[in-house]
Amino acid sequence: MPGKTTDGALSEVCRRCKENSSVLVVRLEPLCQDCFARYVHTKAIKRLETFRVNFHTNEERKVLLPLTFGVSSTTLMHILDLHLKTQMSKTGRTGFALSVLAIGNAEGTLPVDGFLDKVRRQYPGDAALRDLVPHAADVRNFSDQEQLASLINSLPSASARADVLSTLRTRLIVEHARSAGCQSILWGDSTTALAEKTLAETCKGRGFSLPWQVADGKTPFGVYFHYPLRDVLKKELVSYIDLADSGLASLVHESTPGATQASTSSKNTTIDDLMKQYFESVEENFPSIVSNVVRTSSKLEVPAGADSDPRCGTAGLGKESVKAFAAHAPEHIYLTGRNSTAAASLMAEVRSERSTAALSFIELDLSSLRSPVGFDCTDKLAPLAKDKDLANRLWDWTDKILARYDGADG
Amino acid sequence: MPPSICAVCRTNRALILRPKDHSKLCRECFITVFETEIHHTILSTNLFERGERIAIGASGGKDSTVLASVLKTLNERYDYGLELMLLSIDEGIKGYRDDSLETVKRNAVQYDMPLTILGYSELYGWTMDQVVEQVGKKGNCTYCGVFRRQALDRGAARLGVKHVVTGHNADDVAETVLMNLLRGDLPRLSRTTSIVTSTPSLAPNKTGVADNTHIKRSKPLKYAYEKEIVLYAHHKQLDYFSTECIYSPEAFRGSARALIKNLERVRPSAILDVVRSGEDMARLVPGSDEGCGGACASATAAEEEVGGCGSAVGKSMASVERQLASNERAQESNLETEITLPKPSPAPSTTPAGPPLKGQKKPRSERSGGPKKKGPAKQVMGSCIKCGYLSSQAVCKACVLLEGLNKSRPKNAIEVGYEVQDVSLNSVRDELEATTLSTER
Repeated sequence: MPGKTTDGALSEVCRRCKENSSVLVVRLEPLCQDCFARYVHTKAIKRLETFRVNFHTNEERKVLLPLTFGVSSTTLMHILDLHLKTQMSKTGRTGFALSVLAIGNAEGTLPVDGFLDKVRRQYPGDAALRDLVPHAADVRNFSDQEQLASLINSLPSASARADVLSTLRTRLIVEHARSAGCQSILWGDSTTALAEKTLAETCKGRGFSLPWQVADGKTPFGVYFHYPLRDVLKKELVSYIDLADSGLASLVHESTPGATQASTSSKNTTIDDLMKQYFESVEENFPSIVSNVVRTSSKLEVPAGADSDPRCGTAGLGKESVKAFAAHAPEHIYLTGRNSTAAASLMAEVRSERSTAALSFIELDLSSLRSPVGFDCTDKLAPLAKDKDLANRLWDWTDKILARYDGADG
Repeated sequence: MPPSICAVCRTNRALILRPKDHSKLCRECFITVFETEIHHTILSTNLFERGERIAIGASGGKDSTVLASVLKTLNERYDYGLELMLLSIDEGIKGYRDDSLETVKRNAVQYDMPLTILGYSELYGWTMDQVVEQVGKKGNCTYCGVFRRQALDRGAARLGVKHVVTGHNADDVAETVLMNLLRGDLPRLSRTTSIVTSTPSLAPNKTGVADNTHIKRSKPLKYAYEKEIVLYAHHKQLDYFSTECIYSPEAFRGSARALIKNLERVRPSAILDVVRSGEDMARLVPGSDEGCGGACASATAAEEEVGGCGSAVGKSMASVERQLASNERAQESNLETEITLPKPSPAPSTTPAGPPLKGQKKPRSERSGGPKKKGPAKQVMGSCIKCGYLSSQAVCKACVLLEGLNKSRPKNAIEVGYEVQDVSLNSVRDELEATTLSTER
């Protein structure tokens, strides 16, 4: 069992309550079962200050918890449930309303329905846990599974495939949170997971996005992200699940008990796998280094005024890329982006240098799934795509996702 | 299978699988591409001025040898108008530096550049061999790192040169970015990726009065892969010395290095991606000088630390862990949990976390006014009262270390830790053989 068990020192007394005998050593402290549970709860709830009962308003904050049936998100659900019950018993009201969103995996190997039933039985008709949405936004669950598969398979590397899937998943969860009126998403990420994410994003060249990928707070999606388990290590969560008596373990579906046995071939290894392996080994002997990575990356902040100042010329396809393409005198360059004024000046600049290429600007916010709607993409873009069919399928697929949300809205 | 044709010239047979993007190139095209990329780096960062006198920090190793060769080539090809010279530091390590210095001496003849060698014994009265005898093998890298930084500046000052270029490559920079993330060193994170770091240092001028001169440090190979540097040296048949320092084990960097090598295997562009992330993150470090995107890089402070060995870097993973763990415990006993971000402006801070709700209270730390965790402190530079070298403290690090040595007892604690992983250069060379296209492809 991870989280060092007290083998030789089993008789040692819990350092906190000084009564019971300890069951495991947490960061050099031998703790008993109760004190360990309290330790985990405190760490999580401390991070939920924002969601205390607010007596000044009747307006209830809605938060979304994406549940993947892994160790972390299951623990978080359990803790949030306890927290809500405590709030209810102490004050007669709760600080927030919780929606749980069940997430499957892209391969469709996770028996979401079965697990969902178990969760429902475990937390029956709980006043607080009122809104258990069954797998509404899972990429897996679209009937067009094959479309997705062919899209994903067209990507060249394992890292790219994993990356696109996780990006799609985040976007869908955010989209669901928006349509369900949730202001915040509570992610289950442990310290270890956040450290992995920090380094993985750094290695993918996305260091700039760390402020909203790791720190609590507002994201460019307009929804707030919170990571209540940011101070708890993965191995501690595993111990928590093992020690919990309320049948919590049966709710956990761990498809990969550890990344360490991940493929040895570099073809199938993803950057995320590498980071997982790395931090699993670091966590074992150097837990403070893991938490230090998270503490450090959380200190990064977007400089004030950076928002009003678009980072690229068109806030879209890179200015330099357009110029580089233009140098090869193609027939037509379509550039996309959010800033049409900047695009106009870029096009003027390119035309002044090389006049042969025709240029068109397509206003597109790629960070929004809704953006392409209303723009007749298929007509304009399909002739450009090498694989006309792929382009069509992509747009069909996007349409369908959005249709689901529009249905949910009404 | 027909032999692969070079992806650039489309005439010669491809012999090299380019490590950066796995394109297949012939020998000539690879050399041209490699040189052109460095030319591009130099142009796009306005690294040099016409007529500038440049000292190349030369160790005789692959990086600095390639740097000297490429700079000479480019200087002639594109007429930069630079005056190039070699500057070597003799740490006084028998069986390592004495041999590599022989290489540098040959290079000086081959490239027709003047060579200056400056010894630790001459500057500090101690060779590294003597230091190691005194302090032992662990922790001696601290001394070497601190001494070398000053030595290069002093050497430059002696030559009357205001710009020293070093052979740090993309792998080194990427490694340092990861390492600074791992040990949580934000100030260094904000500095390591900028191509120019200036080291304002004191140099005695002709009148013998100490004078503040800014010595610019830059790394033109910042975007060049280590593997490509070795390939370039191999195919240009450069004369370089390839043995690692005999005192060098550095577990902490070794761990980051191993990670970088694994990443490179999974996605070759990852090294550049890390460098890019590092550049972007530098702008996100609160109160950093990089807000201008590195344009005003002259403001970056001294004590850069990329690649090779260096002071705080020469720690083992275990000792870093111990230090962090004790910080954590101290923080917990203070009941301090919120991490408050230092605001660059004196204006009242707005809490970034959580939805803005009516009646929301400030986080505990702000209310209680308890001890706050300090953010990266801005260094205030003065000069050492002993030697006049630039220092953030009253006495510079080198003088502190020297005093300890001279008192016959090391002042810095000697770390005893166990190594985790270490990747030696030999493994890089093994891989290189794999990347050179063999005939069966």
